[in-house]
Amino acid sequence: MRLITRSLVSLLGLLVAAISLSGCGIGGLSPIFPTPVSPNGQNIYDTYIGISVPALIIFIGVEAALLWIVVKYRRSRQPAGYVPPQTHGNTPLEIVWTIAPLVVVLAIALYSFVELQRDFQPVNNAAFTVVVSGHQFGWNYAYPQGFTVHQEGTLQGEVAPFVVPTNTLIKLQFQGTDVIHSWWVPAISGKTDAVPGYDNFSWLKIDRTGKWKGECAELCGVGHATMQIVVQAMSQSDYDQWVQEQLATKKGAAASPSS
Amino acid sequence: MAATTVLPRPKAYDDTFWKPISLWLTTTDHKLIGIMYMVTGILSFLIGGIFALIVRLQLAAPNLKVVDAETYNQLISAHGVTMIFFFVTIFLTGIANYMVPIMIGARDMAFPRVNLLGFWLVPVSIILYYSGFFTGGALNAGWTGYAPLTEKAYQSHSLGVDFWALSIIVWAISGIMASTNFLTTIVALRAPGMKLTRLPLFVWAQISTSILLLVVGAPLAAAMILLEFDRQLGTQFFTTAGRPVLYQHLFWFFGHPEVYIMILPGFGMISEVIPVFARKPIFGYMSMVAALFGIVFLSMTVWAHHMFTVGMNTYVEGFFMLMTMLIAVPTGIKFFNWMATAWWGSIDFTVPMKFAFGFLATFLIGGITGVYLASVPVDTQLHQSYYVVAHLHYVLFGGSVFTIFAGLYYWFPKITGRLLNRNLGEWNFWTLFIGFNGTFLIMHTLGLEGMPRRIATYSNEAWAATNLIITVSSFLIAFSVLLFIINIVSSWRGGEVAGDDPWHANTLEWATTSPPPPYNFERVPPVRSFMPLRDLRESGELEAETAAQPAPAH
Ligand code: HEM
Ligand SMILES: [Cu+2]
Ligand SMILES: [Cu+2]
Repeated sequence: MRLITRSLVSLLGLLVAAISLSGCGIGGLSPIFPTPVSPNGQNIYDTYIGISVPALIIFIGVEAALLWIVVKYRRSRQPAGYVPPQTHGNTPLEIVWTIAPLVVVLAIALYSFVELQRDFQPVNNAAFTVVVSGHQFGWNYAYPQGFTVHQEGTLQGEVAPFVVPTNTLIKLQFQGTDVIHSWWVPAISGKTDAVPGYDNFSWLKIDRTGKWKGECAELCGVGHATMQIVVQAMSQSDYDQWVQEQLATKKGAAASPSS
Repeated sequence: MAATTVLPRPKAYDDTFWKPISLWLTTTDHKLIGIMYMVTGILSFLIGGIFALIVRLQLAAPNLKVVDAETYNQLISAHGVTMIFFFVTIFLTGIANYMVPIMIGARDMAFPRVNLLGFWLVPVSIILYYSGFFTGGALNAGWTGYAPLTEKAYQSHSLGVDFWALSIIVWAISGIMASTNFLTTIVALRAPGMKLTRLPLFVWAQISTSILLLVVGAPLAAAMILLEFDRQLGTQFFTTAGRPVLYQHLFWFFGHPEVYIMILPGFGMISEVIPVFARKPIFGYMSMVAALFGIVFLSMTVWAHHMFTVGMNTYVEGFFMLMTMLIAVPTGIKFFNWMATAWWGSIDFTVPMKFAFGFLATFLIGGITGVYLASVPVDTQLHQSYYVVAHLHYVLFGGSVFTIFAGLYYWFPKITGRLLNRNLGEWNFWTLFIGFNGTFLIMHTLGLEGMPRRIATYSNEAWAATNLIITVSSFLIAFSVLLFIINIVSSWRGGEVAGDDPWHANTLEWATTSPPPPYNFERVPPVRSFMPLRDLRESGELEAETAAQPAPAH
C-alpha cells in the first residue's frame, strides 16, 4: 500500500510540476515538434501524431496493467495461504500477443514508408537549388545567382539569415568540406547530414514569412554548439530586393578588395 | 538448515597477508573472477557517473562554462564509453561468470585460464582508454567516434583517439574470449539432467548474448584497426577522401547488437526474479527462449537505423525501419510473459522485485520511443537530439541498470552470504526511480523542441528551466547511488545472514551454501525441470540434499 500511495503522489507531483511549468510559458516541455512551416515538416509532424495514437494506447494500457498487478496481486492483499495457480503458459494467449503487436508495427511501418516515399525522394521540380556546405564551424549557402551567405559559428547574437522566398520549392544540396555536420531546423523539417565525399539532398517550401532557428546536430568538434542556423522566409518581392542587395554588396566587395 | 553464520572462506583463501593478494591476482575460480568483474563494473559506474554530473552542471543554465568545450566533448565521450564498455557490459559479464556455472551445476567455467586472461584484459583496456587524458586529451568525438572527426587531420594534437581505439580492440578480444568460454561451458559442462530445455532463462540469455558478442566483436575491432591504419599509416579508409559512412556501418553493425548485449542478461535476471517473488513458474518458457533468439537474429539486421540522415536509398531505409520495428514483437512477447507470470501471483515486493517492476515501467517507455525513432521520417527530426539521449537512458538506465540492481539485490546474499539492507534498499529504489524519471523524462521534450545532443552549451533561454530540473534530478540519482554503495559496503561486512536460500528460489545456485565453496557443490542435486530446487522442496528431498553439502562451520 505504501508503495502505491508513494508512487501515485510522485506521479501527481511530476504532472503538476510539468503542467504548471508549461503554463508559465517555460519552454522545453512541449510534447510535440514546433509548428511546421514546410509541407515535409508538416507531414513528419502528422506521422508523429499518427504513431502517437497506438503508442499512447499501448503505453497507458500496459502501465495500467502493471499498476493493477502491483495493487491487486501483492501478497499482503491476497487471502492468507493463497497458492497462485501454477500455470506454465497459454498458447492461444501467446499467439495473440505475438500477432497483435506484429499487426501494429506493420501498420506503423507502412504508414511511415508512405511518408518516406512522399517527402524523401530527390525533388526535380524545384524553383532553384542552394548548395549548403558545412565546415568547422559554420554554414555557407551558395545561391544560383552567384553570391554566398556565410553563417559563421557563434552563440552570441544572431547569425546572418539564410533567406528564401515563401511558397517556393527550393532544393537543398548538402556538402561537407571537412567532417560530418547535420543541418537541422526543427520547424522546417528533419535533419540532413553534410558528409564529405558525396552530396546529400533535402528541400523546403515555407508557407509564411518569419524566422526560424536551428543548429548543427552532428558533433563536429569544439565549435559544434556554435554552428547556429537562422532561416528567414520573405515574400517574393522582398526576397528579390534582398537578392539585389546581396549582389550589390558582392560587387562592392569585389571593386574594393581592401575593405 | 537455516545457517546462522556466514561460512568463512576456505582457509587457503586467506592464511597470510600476501595470500589474498596473490590469490586475487592469479585465481581461476569463476566466482572470484566474477566478483572482480562486478567490482570493476561498479567502480566504472561511479566514474562514469561523475563525468555525467559535470556534464549536467555545465548544462544547468544557458551559456555556462564549468568546463571548456573541448573538455566537455571529452567528458561526454568518456561518460558514454565508461558506461557502455566498462560498466554495463563488464558488470553483466561478471554476474554471469559467477552465476552461470553454478546455475547449470558445473564446478567452474570450461576454460578457467582463458577466463583469467579475459578478465585481466579489462583493466588493461580501461587503463588504455584513460591514458588518453594524459596525452593532450582523450577521445572527444562521442562514444561512437565517427570518422572523419577522429582522423589525424582533425585530431593531430593528441593521442586520445589512438588510446581509445586500442582500448576497444583489447576490450573486444576480452569479450570474444568470455563469450567463447560461456558458450563452451553451457554446452559441455551441464549437470546430469540439465537438458537445454531445463536451463534457467538467465543462462539462455547468456547464450544469446555470447552469440551476439562473438559475431559483432570482430567487426568492431576491424573498424578500430582500420581507423588506426588511417591515423598511423596514412591509409584512406574513413578519411574525407575515403568513405566516412563506411565507418558508421562497421561501428553500428557492432553498436546495435551491443545494446542487446547490455539488455539480454537483464532480461534473463528479470525472468529469474519475477517467478520467485510471484510464486509462479515463468509464463511461456519456450516462447521466452524463442523470443531471445528472435531478438538475436533481428538485432543484426537493423544497424543502419542509426544512419537515416546520411542519405540512403529510401527502400534500404524502409528495410531497416521494418526490421527495427519487428524487434518490438519478440520484446513484446517477453514483456507480456513477465506480466502474465506476475498475474494472479502472490507477489512479495522485496527490493529486487521492486527493481524488476521499475524496470518494466521504464523500459516500456524506452521501447515505445524506439518505435518513433525507427520511423524514418520521424527519426530525421529526433536523431541526434535530446530525445535520443532520453531514449537511450530509458533503455540503458531504466533497462540495464534497473535489471542490474534487481539482479544484485537478488544474488548478493548468495555471493556474500548476507542480505543487503532492506530499508536502505527501499530508499535506494525510490530515490533512483524518481531521480531517474526526473532527469530523463523531460529530455524527450527538449529534443522535440530542437536541442541537439552533445552540445557543450546553449544560448536558448527557453530551455533553461527544464535543464535546471534535469540537473537537480541528476543529483538525486547520485544520492541514490551513494545509498547503494553504503548498502553494499555495510551489508557485506555486517548484513543479516542470509542462509542458503533466503528467497525460496527455483534454481540450482540456491542449493549450495552462501557463499558457495570453491568447487560449488559437494554433490549436484538431481535436475528434473527448469525449477530443480523447487522440485526438491516439493518432494521433500531438500533436507537430504542440503545435508550432503558442507556444514556451516560454527
Ligand atoms: C547519473 C546518471 C546519468 C546522467 C545524469 C547522465 C546524463 C547524460 C547526459 C546529459 C548525456 C548527454 C550528453 C550530451 O549529449 O551532451 C548522456 C549521454 C550518454 N549517457 Fe548518460 N547519464 C547517466 C547515466 C548513464 C548510464 C547509467 C548509462 C549507460 C548505462 C549512460 C549512457 C550514456 C550514453 C551511451 C551517452 C551518449 C554519449 C555520447 O553522446 O557519446 N548514462 N548522459
Ligand atoms: Cu557541425
Ligand atoms: Cu540501434
